[in-house]
Amino acid sequence: MVKEECKALLDALNKVTACYRHMVLTIGGTSDSQNLREELKKTRQKAQELAVANRNKLTTVLKDKTVSKEDKAEFERLWVIFSTCLEILEIDMRRALELGHEFPLNVPKKHLIQTGMSGGTSGVAARAMSVQNMKYEAEHNIDVVDLKDLENEINQVGEMMYEMEMKVNVPQWTVEAKQDPGAELKSTISVGASSIGMISVEENKSFCDISKVLAGIIFTAVLLIAIVLAVCVVKLS
Amino acid sequence: MTVTRLDQGQRYRPRMAFLKKIETLMMEMQNPDTGIKTQTQTVMIANIPHAVTGVDIMQWILQRLQITAEEALHLGDLFVKYGYIYPLQEPKNLTLKADGSLYRFQTPYFWPVQSWAADDTDYAIYLAKKNIKRKGILEEYEKEHYSMLNQKINYKWDFVIMQAKEQYKAGKERKKEDRYALDCQERAYWLVNRTPPGMLDVLEYGLDRVTDPNENKKNTMEFYRREIMYYQQAIMKTRVKSSVSLGGVVKYSEQFLSNDPILSGCLPSNPWISDDPEFWDLNAKLVEVPTRMRVERWAFNFSELIRDPKGRQNFQLFLKKEFSGENLGFWEACEDLKYGDQSKVKEKAEEIYKLFLAPGARRWINIDGKTMGITVKGLEHPHRYVLDAAQTHIYMLMKKDSYGRYLKSPIYKEMLAKAVVPQEGVKKSTGLFGRRHLRSSPSPIILRQQEEEAKAREAANTVDITQVMSKLDRRNQPQKEAPPK
Repeated sequence: MVKEECKALLDALNKVTACYRHMVLTIGGTSDSQNLREELKKTRQKAQELAVANRNKLTTVLKDKTVSKEDKAEFERLWVIFSTCLEILEIDMRRALELGHEFPLNVPKKHLIQTGMSGGTSGVAARAMSVQNMKYEAEHNIDVVDLKDLENEINQVGEMMYEMEMKVNVPQWTVEAKQDPGAELKSTISVGASSIGMISVEENKSFCDISKVLAGIIFTAVLLIAIVLAVCVVKLS
Repeated sequence: MTVTRLDQGQRYRPRMAFLKKIETLMMEMQNPDTGIKTQTQTVMIANIPHAVTGVDIMQWILQRLQITAEEALHLGDLFVKYGYIYPLQEPKNLTLKADGSLYRFQTPYFWPVQSWAADDTDYAIYLAKKNIKRKGILEEYEKEHYSMLNQKINYKWDFVIMQAKEQYKAGKERKKEDRYALDCQERAYWLVNRTPPGMLDVLEYGLDRVTDPNENKKNTMEFYRREIMYYQQAIMKTRVKSSVSLGGVVKYSEQFLSNDPILSGCLPSNPWISDDPEFWDLNAKLVEVPTRMRVERWAFNFSELIRDPKGRQNFQLFLKKEFSGENLGFWEACEDLKYGDQSKVKEKAEEIYKLFLAPGARRWINIDGKTMGITVKGLEHPHRYVLDAAQTHIYMLMKKDSYGRYLKSPIYKEMLAKAVVPQEGVKKSTGLFGRRHLRSSPSPIILRQQEEEAKAREAANTVDITQVMSKLDRRNQPQKEAPPK
């Protein structure tokens, strides 16, 4: 129960971090907009709430002396996952701050980089916030106003990480990963056959295979003919 | 949690001021009026906007910065290599081609940053994502990196897989064209930051630096005090007027111009050009008859004479006549001590002491008492430079005293008269089946043996004043002893 709760919280944090990374990728590009900045803010706040919840849960469990050894190992593993997730989140937040400073949206002289993006990120944000549709209610200059909040939040996350390091003594390198290399391949994620990149790669690969098969067939045919001729010669002589 | 590291030396990435400069240019390129015109790239069934041609990029740089076409191409090429622009048709070939090949701008998140390098965890997540997308088809070097990272950051591996899956799912929420563009962007980023083998890694800067370029250091009193001390010492340094030093250079150049084989040609011919090693044969270290140019060179200054082995040989002959041969012998022994086999330093130093410095030595050199005192004291703990003071004294003695007389002596004049002036070599042409007579020079080992034999013979034959005097003494002594009987 505690384990399942912890895992669920961690999965949620993981999901929000992934979505946040996705959104930070688009700052400064052509799909950047006020909506994006608002999405970033909301995702960030949700990530922080989840992080605090995770931390509280995990610290109580790790401080608990009555936990069995395997359970403790499992919780330490979860702790390591949690702290790495938080690191990634902090880095993305810092990047977002830098990029936010460099690409203010309402300045006519500063143009966004033409990155080839045309769609929006509302789907990603909806996934992060676990809602069906995103509602946008922020003001026009959120991109500038938000930066101050962002700075404060980065400091908060930094402090939280420092506290965590000081209070909980989990040596990271003792944790062994449960999943083997290549575990992601065994997952049941269906790869969309309509993805454009895949088609070109697949075509190349199948072409190579066909040529190899043809070469093999020709070689064996030549070999057979040679054997037949040799037998004929032996018979005739 | 990565353990926050202590500042123990080289931890910092160097200044990368060029990054900001490239970024301003990138942003200017986006201007709809003065920037570069974009096109749409058609991939399969989708249209992805914002593609630019290589020639457009080059032209824009050319016009904006007012530089030559070659420089513009090179600069554009650097933009591609640093990852600000990526090619669409040949993703692995990070060069700018000044033709219709298409490029696109990289999203600012993937621009190189001075403060941090591309993270290993991120790379692991990218490789895991690629594994999911391509069903395990990775390039060879990527597979190696994957297994290496799996070992290196094994404790983070669960997180890596989880995050890779989540990022993949999050990516599905975007439309198809954007997904494709994002793939291209990420691939381009990792091609720049984790170069495949054989590709140039532009972001490599060698070792990390000791000082943090981003640190805003406040200058303390201590800093200013040290600065003042430095400048005060700098003022007190002795200087030579440039007119004086330049005059010296001019004089040297004029004197040696005729001896320089490159500037004034060499007789008989330059061996590198005519394949005729006669020049080297004529100028061998201890050749019987040296060239005239070489002998004349000995008259320029004393160091020229002493650095030429043939010159030393000739000088030694002269010194023997003057009964100061031990000076040059001592000098040569000191050179051998300095530059010779260091494991034999102790023995060599003792031998030199016995031969040259001890009172009543066979070849006693005449140095003043103070220098003798310093040298004898130093010989208690012999090292390479223990005889430096004595050697300098003897050198100066020879230079100021014997050298002048040597140049006026008949020995030198005889050598000058004997010296040969080589004829201008005839260019030997090789016929179609002509065999060139290949003369190989004697092996250095053999040359060294010959030198040592010659030295030994010299040492054996040297007749010194003290030996002569001692012989005379011995002849006199028995006669003296006889009468008292």
